Amino acid sequence: MNRDVVFNKVQDIFRDIFDDYDLVIHNETNSDSIEDWDSLNHINLVTAIEKEFSIRFSLGELSSLKDIGAMIDLMLTKVE
Amino acid sequence: MNSYRFSELKVGIKESFTIELDMLKLLQFQKISGDCNPLHTDDLYAHKKGFESRVAHGMLTSSFYSTFVGVYLPGKYSLLQGIDIGFIKPVYIGDSLTVSGEIAYINYAYRQIEIKAIIKNQKGEKISRAKIKVGVVDE
Repeated sequence: MNRDVVFNKVQDIFRDIFDDYDLVIHNETNSDSIEDWDSLNHINLVTAIEKEFSIRFSLGELSSLKDIGAMIDLMLTKVE
Repeated sequence: MNSYRFSELKVGIKESFTIELDMLKLLQFQKISGDCNPLHTDDLYAHKKGFESRVAHGMLTSSFYSTFVGVYLPGKYSLLQGIDIGFIKPVYIGDSLTVSGEIAYINYAYRQIEIKAIIKNQKGEKISRAKIKVGVVDE
């Protein structure tokens, strides 16, 4: 699965979680960029991504991420 | 009260309990919430709207999802973080409600479980369904 495919699927997940179907994410997008990206929605995002891609994250991996680009880079190490 | 620890939780674990919805519960909820809509207080009005009699507040019956989480699954170490409820059928005074649920997903990084739960009445009819997110705080 290439980066564009993963990125587009992640964007769909963000649109679903934040109930905003016009939402456009970028590699630099982080929790400061989206008003409703609070701690609970963060867990919702991680769970939705885990389910969609059949992968698992550890707390250590997640706590070091600074933006969506870093998240997708991490995901690419896990997806087939 | 059950006291499942996070390490004991597995997808597929189920729990259930049954509770009677009586007039006292309805009146107490009306007092707590202030929801005195005639659908919940006036049998005649409710009948005119197509119901058998006054209807129990949806949020009253949904409070049993809180009981499910806080007492049964996972019980003591729960921290309710979110709940998405659909109301399917009306609940009336005297109904016997069985709340049941099953762990559907576990987020190990954030120690959160997802539970799919339903409430059925004494006729076996599903009156509501819920997807519940619960943190487990046993450390």
